[in-house]
Amino acid sequence: MTPVATILLMAGVTYLLRLAGFLLSGRRVAPFWLRSLRFVPISVFGALTIPALPGQSGEAPIRFAAAALTALVLWRFSSPWLGILVGMGTFWSLRLAL
Amino acid sequence: MVRGDFLRGFGSMIPLWVGVVPFGLAYAVSARSAGLSLLETQLMSLVVFAGSAQFSAAGLFLINASSVSLVLTTFIINARHLLYSLSLGQRASYSWGRQAISAFFLTDEAFGIVTSQGNYGFAFLLGAELSLYGVWNLSTFLGALVGEVVPDPTVLGADFVFPVAFLALLIPLIRSRLDLAVAAGAGVAALLLAGQIGSGLAILITGVGGSLLGAWLSGREDNPSP
Repeated sequence: MTPVATILLMAGVTYLLRLAGFLLSGRRVAPFWLRSLRFVPISVFGALTIPALPGQSGEAPIRFAAAALTALVLWRFSSPWLGILVGMGTFWSLRLAL
Repeated sequence: MVRGDFLRGFGSMIPLWVGVVPFGLAYAVSARSAGLSLLETQLMSLVVFAGSAQFSAAGLFLINASSVSLVLTTFIINARHLLYSLSLGQRASYSWGRQAISAFFLTDEAFGIVTSQGNYGFAFLLGAELSLYGVWNLSTFLGALVGEVVPDPTVLGADFVFPVAFLALLIPLIRSRLDLAVAAGAGVAALLLAGQIGSGLAILITGVGGSLLGAWLSGREDNPSP
């Protein structure tokens, strides 16, 4: 199969997954499942965040420190720009300092 | 009003561009070095539009993996999008056409922005989606042109932008101890499982598991969560 055909198949399954939730959501859903949907972003973003924290460059301690400070700032101000500035700023400063 | 919502959605995504650009560049470079042409590299960003799946695909093209394994890996890594459209479909009633359009551009980031801002309007969603689509495709194009000159993002530490960006999406959603427990539990479980079953499947399983656990635990509380 040519790369273009493979890429189009990848696009097809991705699009079907992205659309499937809409197609299913016309049905009546029990309260339990509705409650569970509220937790989808919380658990998925938790699952995307924590494994990416240590990194593969042996800098886990400073990455954890920078992430902890970022979480604190976001908790207090909930501004994404500020969070990214504090997170990357702390990380790069610690990297240079240590 | 609709145009204002579109621009607000578009603007809400701008802070995340910082994290997207180096990875768009890096994806394009790895896809080119895996033997894909400029056109194929760009095509994947245009029609698949899913960062982690595209990175895995570049790696699989490099080792001449079969088309079947490429498509299955894409399916597993992207399965979480079903949960996003299911959640959006419960919150908003878009027409068929709008479902078809917004599904094509749906990503972790767009879903995160819409959920954290609590704005489920179609114009806001599409603005956020196209904001990311534009910058992802532009950085893919630049990376595919520039080729091997782009430094490895892990050397610069730019990959740290991803957990930081996801933290910025996650923290505003946490309003109770249960929310915090679900986020931390899913994160630790994904970290432990990733080495055993791969990170795509780990994210899928813990995403579903965390949601079910949250629903079960919140059902046991006397007062329903907001």
